[in-house]
Amino acid sequence: MLAVNALIDISGLHYRYPGTAADALAGLDLSVAEGEFVAVVGPNGSGKSTLARILGGLAVASGGHRAAVCGHDLLTEPGRLAVRRDVGVLFQNPENQLVAENVEEDIAFGLENLGLPASEIATRVDEMLARFDLEDLRHREPHLLSGGQKQRTALAGVLAIPRRALVLDEPTAMLDPAGQVEVLGAVARERENGLTIVLVTQEMDEVLGADRVVALERGSAVFDGPPAELFARPQLIADLSLGLPAAGEVGLALMQSGRRFVRTPLTIDELLDELVGSGGTQLTLGGVSEHPSSADDPAHGRWEAHTAADSPAPAGDGGET
Amino acid sequence: MRIECRNVTFAYDEGGRPVPAIKGVDLVAESGSTVALLGPSGSGKSTLLMVLRGLLEPDAGVVVLDGSVAADKEYAHRQREIGLVFQEPETQLFATTARDDVAFGPRQLGWPADMVDAAVEEALDLVGLTGSEFGERHPYSLSGGEQRRLALAGVLAMRPKMLLLDEPFVSLDPGARRDLAAVVRRLVESGMGLMLATHDVDQAWSLCDERLLLVGGELVAAGDWDFAGAGAELLAAHRLRTPFFVELWRRLGRPLADAPRTVAMATEALR
Repeated sequence: MLAVNALIDISGLHYRYPGTAADALAGLDLSVAEGEFVAVVGPNGSGKSTLARILGGLAVASGGHRAAVCGHDLLTEPGRLAVRRDVGVLFQNPENQLVAENVEEDIAFGLENLGLPASEIATRVDEMLARFDLEDLRHREPHLLSGGQKQRTALAGVLAIPRRALVLDEPTAMLDPAGQVEVLGAVARERENGLTIVLVTQEMDEVLGADRVVALERGSAVFDGPPAELFARPQLIADLSLGLPAAGEVGLALMQSGRRFVRTPLTIDELLDELVGSGGTQLTLGGVSEHPSSADDPAHGRWEAHTAADSPAPAGDGGET
Repeated sequence: MRIECRNVTFAYDEGGRPVPAIKGVDLVAESGSTVALLGPSGSGKSTLLMVLRGLLEPDAGVVVLDGSVAADKEYAHRQREIGLVFQEPETQLFATTARDDVAFGPRQLGWPADMVDAAVEEALDLVGLTGSEFGERHPYSLSGGEQRRLALAGVLAMRPKMLLLDEPFVSLDPGARRDLAAVVRRLVESGMGLMLATHDVDQAWSLCDERLLLVGGELVAAGDWDFAGAGAELLAAHRLRTPFFVELWRRLGRPLADAPRTVAMATEALR
């Protein structure tokens, strides 16, 4: 994809850590359009974090054909310095990204470094506190925050400076489930506002929402396409030490054991749809077998019976035990 | 072996000000049992593991190991039968070969060379990094998942009877998580006791029969409590969530007591 509006346009990029024999990035190509949300996956050590650091101007590529990010040439020193202003980077560990005494000072930190007038900084900090739901925590010391609150504070600090792109390096890896939801929600809102996002992740559920997923192996891209296309290739998934979202693991195993689905389900809703699906129910009742699993699967009727009786209960419902 | 924690309390000292981390915890964990220590970030899980292993001394209460207490002569020996694997333990690999790194612990214990060698090969086998293939590799030449399993081997080489794992799956790729889970499963099947501190409810559900919920340093639930029903509310109230398989079974209207623990079990039930 070589779009005129490519915000990230990288070709043949190389990076080698000092004292190592192999390239961490080995001729990587990556193109991201303005407003796009791209997930980057790959086994441990495939170059994901190295890429994140280079995109943010925080590491110096060893070489490349082309490395333009937000119009800055990352192969030059001035380009790398300039890109730091346009690309924000959020890292994995919430413990070591906060620098100030409390939440509002932390958000103000980057703005102060830019030398903005105090009144402008104060306005901007208030905006960010509201945008990331941190108003009640503005005077809280970082060590008293939960992991999710720390990551949201760090994100607010990163985005306090208007950015053209956001790079996230496994931002939920160290968070509890509630913290993961908080951070992913905040990222989703930024995406809705049109921010270009590159998300490095090991969580296959997080990949599902991306416009595109790029899979790295030994420093180069071996897959670039829609998430559903990646997850439809079990052999590639296995080769890359990846996985499917939990629902997909079950769906795929069922398909491999002979169960027939219209498509590999990737979410719990899609899995339930395939197992008890309303479409299948109607086709069975009508006697038309467009839904391959409905007619010849003896278990189908059983799921169907559940469909009628069992609309999803709210979380925390007792269910039957 | 049997670890019994009786009314244990521990506070960190921050500049003379005590910061309570563990508050009156009672629990039992023993060989053959699999206990998930669940809790949100900052709930005291890591601290509790360190107290159980004796790296931190309780301010009140006792940790009883096979009937012995801290004042007893054999207590230090019992403590060594507890293997604690810290978060991201691969950051502490330091030797120039995998074999040497695993041998460090047994050598520190003063074991004779042939016993050290046997323990090292056995531990490498247990984590799926056979000595013939991996023994002479530099730890840094291994993948992230292999490095984590190598660090686990370093603990297993000291032949613990109980294994305490602190967030062992964090930041591993999905394939490496599967490999590590398979190793843990095999250890448990061979009789090793497991305590798994984590906020990963799916792994806890999959690997453990008993579940403890630690919140603010206090145990708020223990035993084989229901992960659905009231248990689901408890999980949600404390920054956790219902495991995937429990949620799937609930929405299928199937008896939650039969909720599967693994993909294989789910497939068997749904095929």
